[in-house]
Amino acid sequence: MKGYLGEFEELVLLTIANLGKDAYGLALLRDINERANRNLSIGAMHSTLTRLEEKGYITSYLGEPTKERGGRRKRYFELTSTAIEGLNDMKSLRDELWANTKVKLSL
Amino acid sequence: MTNRPNQTPPLFARKVFEWWSKKADTEDLLGDIDEYFQYNLEEKGKLKAQIIYFKQVISLSFSYALLKRKRSASFSGYYSTNSIAMIKNYFKIALRNFSKHKLFTSINILGLALGMSICLLALSMFVSIYKFDEFHTKKDRIYQVNTHIETTSDRTLFASTFNSVGEYMAEKYPFIEQVVKIKEGFRPEIKHRGNLLNFSGYYADPAFFEVFTFPLISGDPVNALSKPFSVVITKSVAETLYKNENPIGKVLETNYGSFNVTGVIDDLKQTHFYFEVLTSYQTYEQINPSLRLSNDWVNYRNNYVYLLLKPDTKEQALRESLAQVATRASEFNPEQTITLQSNPLPEMTPQWIISNGLGVGWDLPTMLIFMAVGFLILLPAVFNYTNLSIARALKRAKEIGIRKVVGAEKNQIKTQFIVETIILCLLALIGSIFIFSLIRKEFLNMIMGAASLDISLTVPLIIVFILFALFIGGLSGLFPALYFSRLNPIDTLKGEIKNRSGSISGMRKGLFVFQFFLSLFFIIGVGAIAKQYTYVFSYNHGFDSDNVLAVPFQNIDKQVVLNEFAAHPNVKSITTSSNLPGLRLPIIVEVTPNEKDTLSVNQVFIGEDFIENLHMNLVWGESANDIQSTQNEEPVLVNEQFMRSVAVFEGERDSLLFTLSDGTRCRIAGILEDFNFEPLNELINPLVFRYSLEESNYALLTINSTDIKKTIDDLDLIWTDIDQKANFEATFLDDEIEDAYSFLVNQIQIFGFLSVLAITISCLGLLGMVSYTTENRTKEIAIRKIMGASNKSLYYTLTKDFLKMIMISALIAIPCSYVFYDMILLTMLLQYGQGLGILEVFLSITFLFLIGFSAIYWQTSKVAHANPAGNLRYE
Repeated sequence: MKGYLGEFEELVLLTIANLGKDAYGLALLRDINERANRNLSIGAMHSTLTRLEEKGYITSYLGEPTKERGGRRKRYFELTSTAIEGLNDMKSLRDELWANTKVKLSL
Repeated sequence: MTNRPNQTPPLFARKVFEWWSKKADTEDLLGDIDEYFQYNLEEKGKLKAQIIYFKQVISLSFSYALLKRKRSASFSGYYSTNSIAMIKNYFKIALRNFSKHKLFTSINILGLALGMSICLLALSMFVSIYKFDEFHTKKDRIYQVNTHIETTSDRTLFASTFNSVGEYMAEKYPFIEQVVKIKEGFRPEIKHRGNLLNFSGYYADPAFFEVFTFPLISGDPVNALSKPFSVVITKSVAETLYKNENPIGKVLETNYGSFNVTGVIDDLKQTHFYFEVLTSYQTYEQINPSLRLSNDWVNYRNNYVYLLLKPDTKEQALRESLAQVATRASEFNPEQTITLQSNPLPEMTPQWIISNGLGVGWDLPTMLIFMAVGFLILLPAVFNYTNLSIARALKRAKEIGIRKVVGAEKNQIKTQFIVETIILCLLALIGSIFIFSLIRKEFLNMIMGAASLDISLTVPLIIVFILFALFIGGLSGLFPALYFSRLNPIDTLKGEIKNRSGSISGMRKGLFVFQFFLSLFFIIGVGAIAKQYTYVFSYNHGFDSDNVLAVPFQNIDKQVVLNEFAAHPNVKSITTSSNLPGLRLPIIVEVTPNEKDTLSVNQVFIGEDFIENLHMNLVWGESANDIQSTQNEEPVLVNEQFMRSVAVFEGERDSLLFTLSDGTRCRIAGILEDFNFEPLNELINPLVFRYSLEESNYALLTINSTDIKKTIDDLDLIWTDIDQKANFEATFLDDEIEDAYSFLVNQIQIFGFLSVLAITISCLGLLGMVSYTTENRTKEIAIRKIMGASNKSLYYTLTKDFLKMIMISALIAIPCSYVFYDMILLTMLLQYGQGLGILEVFLSITFLFLIGFSAIYWQTSKVAHANPAGNLRYE
């Protein structure tokens, strides 16, 4: 496995998967801020994205020029197979832990 | 809320962000914050949206995302992938440049090689000192006990420790395998064939040879120091005393008593110990029976303790035990705070600051000063390189311009120049190592105690040298690299450089002045010391030393020798004395002028006619040749200083009477004019001359002969007739006195060498500078000539800049060197010297000016005499 997947990184990867074809920086930021009730800055968001790209979990490509951004292009992100593997590992680990709890966890 | 798409985010923030990100690709980032702004504008209003926009810009500016993009944008692809090819290319260009500009290359290689040679010496000493005591097989387990003593007024770390520490620790702590106690201060005066030879060494425990790895050439290492009055000598001492004989079992007659030679070791190399003779610790106890050393917790000077720990002992155990010992020591010294520290053997040299260290004491501060002097000599050579590289900028600029147009980046130009300088420095290093091996031996002889240093060329030393050359290369290449990488390619291709290449820029002026300042400083130093040297010999010591032959005659019937020698026709007169005038006086006695106070005076025993033969002046009384010593009063001579010192105790009684500490009552028969019985670096001390043939060590013969050699041979024959066992030695008093000033010769050599280096380097620099500036002004000179300028005015225009700079450096150097030499150095060397005279300063400056001008003249005359028509077509 390449590196270790942090909690926030997992969140970002799952959000990319949720947004599908429309996963670009600001969209991810707003989605996470609303869903997880956080107050992230764009800088923090992009730093995490850059690190994930370095680790090989996501790839990025530039889209078409957009009118609302003054002709600037958006950078879209996609999951790689490593990321999917990592997410699955994480999920099965969680499921296992949930299944074996000796304490009542459900609310 | 209405949609207002034409609302734009704050332009200022975006500009700052764009400037900050430089070449990094920020299209998507800008898009994101702009879009976020529009969204906030609709949701939260203009002001809030703008505040958020600023926040986002700041957070992005310092984010990893931007940092990474900036970093990757600043690397150009072909630089990072093709660097080996580029380095190869730099090499090629550098070598081509060297062979093309031969003057530039040779000036710099020569200058750097000369400058680096002193630094190499300093470095090699450094390396050697760091490797001290690494040959001991048990070195990892040997520790020296150091004492840190803090009183209310000061705190000092001593290398020595209390007398009792050694035995106390050996008894109390089982993890200590061996303790070696060493006492400094064994200075026997050995009587050898009628001569007194002085040696120095230590008192050491028998385990010395077990703990430290000093293999004995002959003798038994276990028992060598086990008995009192046994002594181990080094090889060179053995050779002086017993040439071609086995020294083992021989008896040495010394002022401490008789010693048995029990062993011989090699001369000391690469160790902090510095001794010629080593005697057993018990000897010390026997010489000083009243001292109870094993119970002495008060005295800590000159007493050293080395511990050999058992294998695998924890440092912790040693530390705890030292703390306990320190507590015990504190009980005896309640007003001091005492801490004991252990110092592992290989780390003992060099040390930063430690008092009362054993041996020569190679401490770091001295080494750093030496290193700094070396660097001071090297700096002018580095400046030469900087100056000359920029002076020929006009030539190189076109090359740089084309490189830049083709796509070279700043970094590449910088690397090119640094690589070039480093290659030059490595070439200079080869020359420098050559000089180093030439001067190495001479140099070590000049430094006291340096004989134990091993500075032969070894692999680690060569690696240190190469690293040093790389460092110097980087240093001297830095400024030219920065200068050339900043050139504007368009200007250079047009053939103009904006840095006024015709005249010399301010910084280069400064470097140039500094070079000449240094040269002058050293040259004045040579002049000053040389003056003292001639002064010493022309100085009238107050006695006549011409044609006086000194013959040591301790072990022979003195009266017979005197009578026989006096009979020789060429011996005009003869006298005796215990010490040679003009040399140092070791004998001091206490004198009681008024039965109460005492005064230390120097005492010299002389024979009859001493005063007359050496033509000394009496201010009062007469020499006591004919006055017979009565039973209770001995006639003596004193000097004026003696009378002045005694006058303090104003005796109402007979002022000509005083008592020596041995009870002899003396009557002053005559008073001598003050004269320098000792070398000029000693103050004139109160002095007493007593008449005694028994105590005299030298016969002083005034010779009147045309064939000196024959006379000496005759005397030798007479001597051998009297006694065949004693050796005949004869030296002229003048030669002996000259030897006493050999320290001045040393200083002259060192300063002479340094100044030759400094002057050569600065003159090389001057030569280079003049030749490049005149070359750059070739066209100008040609036009001036065509317009009718005379040769004289041409010389003036060409030289006036340099003239001014040499003048400025002289103005700075004269007061600086006056303060340094007159007030510090010369008073340290000679108390009765003359100080620095105007003549030496003037001569030194004239000398430097002459050299400087001939360099300038040589170069300028070439241009001034050239055909102007040819020069106009130059380039």
